[in-house]
Amino acid sequence: MTAPAELGPYYEALLFIAERPLSTGELADLGGVPRVQAEATLAGLAEQLADDGRGLRLQQSDDAWQLVTAPEVGSRLAAYAAREEARLSPAALEALAVIAYRQPCTRADVDHVRGVDSDYVIRSLLHRRLIVEVGRRDTPGRPMLFGTTFTFLERFGLTSLGDLPALASDAALVAAGSALEELNEPADAG
Amino acid sequence: MPLEPIPIQAEAAAAVTGDFEVQLEVFAGPLDLLLRLIESRQLDVLTVPLAELADAYVAHLAANPLDPAELADFVAVAAQLILLKSRRLLPGEPAPVAPPGEEEPDEDELRRRLVEYRALRDVARQLGERDLAMPAFRREPRESDLPVALTAALPASLLSELLEALAAIPEPEPPPPEVVPREITIAMQIAALRAAMGSAGKVVLQQVLAACRSRTQVTVTVLALLELVRRREARVEQHELFGPILVEALNGRPVA
Repeated sequence: MTAPAELGPYYEALLFIAERPLSTGELADLGGVPRVQAEATLAGLAEQLADDGRGLRLQQSDDAWQLVTAPEVGSRLAAYAAREEARLSPAALEALAVIAYRQPCTRADVDHVRGVDSDYVIRSLLHRRLIVEVGRRDTPGRPMLFGTTFTFLERFGLTSLGDLPALASDAALVAAGSALEELNEPADAG
Repeated sequence: MPLEPIPIQAEAAAAVTGDFEVQLEVFAGPLDLLLRLIESRQLDVLTVPLAELADAYVAHLAANPLDPAELADFVAVAAQLILLKSRRLLPGEPAPVAPPGEEEPDEDELRRRLVEYRALRDVARQLGERDLAMPAFRREPRESDLPVALTAALPASLLSELLEALAAIPEPEPPPPEVVPREITIAMQIAALRAAMGSAGKVVLQQVLAACRSRTQVTVTVLALLELVRRREARVEQHELFGPILVEALNGRPVA
């Protein structure tokens, strides 16, 4: 059992030495506190790191947490880490965007939005570990469901999926659809 | 009034795509092409009569080489556009006026897909700008997976002890002058491995190797195992560094 005031520093230290993401459940057990308290403490720690402009950030993905370097210093660290990676093609970015916003989703979902077969780009995203299979959809053929990974968040310097740029919302699309009908009516009449 | 059936001019397309390094002839998909035809003419995707883009779309398909794997998807959109156009051109036939909300369902559906695709394309471009621009790095796993014995500092006396141990080993017998007969074959060791896997269909490789009497036999056994893996008769798994190597018979099951 850890006193609430010590829990934040404890988690910060624990995530510092951890070599893999730790789940909320593990962190709650290690801290000897209920899950909700662990979650609140971790959220607070994430906020604190970002607000204080520190060199580290707390990333969250799919109920797991990891301490990473801040995106602001990422480009300078890249020289040290010596990563040689090609940037993603527009097609791969599109497929990745569908999966990031709609996860979990299937290859057919990606095909539908992009209007083109996405088998090859999805394979390449899997190979780069930007996405993983997170389950199967309970429909005929039991197609694989894909979700994004910590590698995805790291590559794009995101703290969580909440950091993704805003997508024109479904509500906006529906509004666009009805505006469309109004606009089309005079044209059709004329 | 039909729109000019001009193909996308390089300048126009470059203006649309801004700083993006896209090859102009390569489209991310059929909706991408349609959207660029609209945007290069500075038309509003919400209001442009899609039927009037049919000619430009088909002209573009004809003029630009496409990946054969994606051709069907492009043709599907071209067919939709031609259908829309042909409906408008039918003489005497009143336009299929349906109650509001059901008007030209095909056009509405295609337009909705375009709007949905545009939203996706725009966020994909934003992601593209961030791609590797400000990456976050995690801690690299240390080499703590290695057994401690291998990484611990070696005692200073080790060399002399090793030399003593070596001196204690009797000289090996001189090799026989004649050609050594092939006593152990891969086929034999395959049979031995199959027998070792037995009805359980699995065995730990180290156990098989421990029973080998010579270095040759160890080598041939490993080669036999590789042969079984190549024939997809067996699968090999090792869950941790220096851990047991589990050989599992596949019995004709497809390899995962």
